Amino acid sequence: MSEILELVRQTPLLQLSMQQAINRALGEILEDDDRALIFGEDVGVLGGVFRVTDGLQQRFGANRVFDTPLAESGILGTAIGLAMAGFHPIPEVQFDGFAYPAVNQIITQLARMNYRSRGRLPMPVTLRVPSFGGIRAPEHHGESLESLFAHVPGLKVVSPSNPQQAYHLLKKAASMPDPVIFMEPKARYWNKGEVDLAVEDTSSLEGSVIARSGKHATLIAWGAMVSRCLQVAELAAEDGIELEVLDLRWLKPIDEAGLAASVSRTRRAIVVHEGPHTAGLGAEVAALVSQSCFDSLRAPVERVTGFDVPYPSGDLEDEYIPNIDRILFGVQRVLEYRRG
Amino acid sequence: MAEISFPLPDLGEGLLEATVLEWLVAVGDQVERNQPFVEVETTKSSVELPSPIAGIVLTLHGDPGDVVLVDAPLITFTVADDSAGIVGTVPQEAAPKRRVRLSAVLDED
Repeated sequence: MSEILELVRQTPLLQLSMQQAINRALGEILEDDDRALIFGEDVGVLGGVFRVTDGLQQRFGANRVFDTPLAESGILGTAIGLAMAGFHPIPEVQFDGFAYPAVNQIITQLARMNYRSRGRLPMPVTLRVPSFGGIRAPEHHGESLESLFAHVPGLKVVSPSNPQQAYHLLKKAASMPDPVIFMEPKARYWNKGEVDLAVEDTSSLEGSVIARSGKHATLIAWGAMVSRCLQVAELAAEDGIELEVLDLRWLKPIDEAGLAASVSRTRRAIVVHEGPHTAGLGAEVAALVSQSCFDSLRAPVERVTGFDVPYPSGDLEDEYIPNIDRILFGVQRVLEYRRG
Repeated sequence: MAEISFPLPDLGEGLLEATVLEWLVAVGDQVERNQPFVEVETTKSSVELPSPIAGIVLTLHGDPGDVVLVDAPLITFTVADDSAGIVGTVPQEAAPKRRVRLSAVLDED
């Protein structure tokens, strides 16, 4: 036991971008699991449009890391067939907006094959989707699909907020017997952070995490909005307001207990997401918080979200994605709410 | 720094190769995205190819007059590790700016 602890202590902390952390995790998954396969548009020869699969085809060969035609429905159909045959596919849909042509395969086959076959055909598929906005890309490259996928029984949905989580959550997702939609916040691909490669207690990869502790209100976010909420918390501290930031991480299933534990202490909650307001995942979070914390809440749960419009082109992105001031306004609304 | 190679694409329908007519860039040049970098001739036409990324030219795979096969390497760039993907730009990290100040009357019960 002490030898193991010594090994853990010797495991170096690396400074990696999220893109590099995911690349490293994918390489280790392919190394450890002969049945793992990576495929998608440009993931092989090119190494991915964001270089996330860089070098993997050279290392593992074109039988395990391969390019597909530009046909997302086919990518997912291939993944489903391979999973039926005992493989562990890790397909990539190059951009969130390209997932729409694959939605039929995802919802009508991938999500329910295990159920339909009474457990004889589990679908250990990890679908990587570079997600959300923030990089000034054209249409179909900045969508937030979490509420769409979270609504589908049979799918799990997760979104990391930093390199450390991206590395560990991807390995965790790939080890699960169920289909997992892995939403990579592409706006955070280039931000470096400390990554501890040591094997964590796997239960620490479940549920939400507190990214910053505070006592006056809880900001609930995921993906790229977590770092923005941390900035907001820093600014709020200048005004004497201590905000807690809860990184939800798993968007299906949602960590109800973690939400309840935080908000029952802070008694105020603001949920922040990039996706449109109506029927966004914030509505689900607000309902869960209202149910579990009804007696302690000092104000209705506030939602600071994208607008009910198609995701705009790059020039308007900063107006669409919740910015610091819009989040601060949301905080102000819950702080000054008085029961009437 | 990372190296990225691009193969010769199929410039028609089912073409197998193209002949390099003229390189429009030299090794060491900084090339912008969509900047034409080579003129090639196929059995159908001659055409200038735009660069899919911004980067510094590391290798030109072939001299004028050489035949390059479709899917064989055509040009290799070196790009910075934090350079954008083929689509979009790297978000600029600016110091957080605010206009809204919080003024709370907190009940302490």
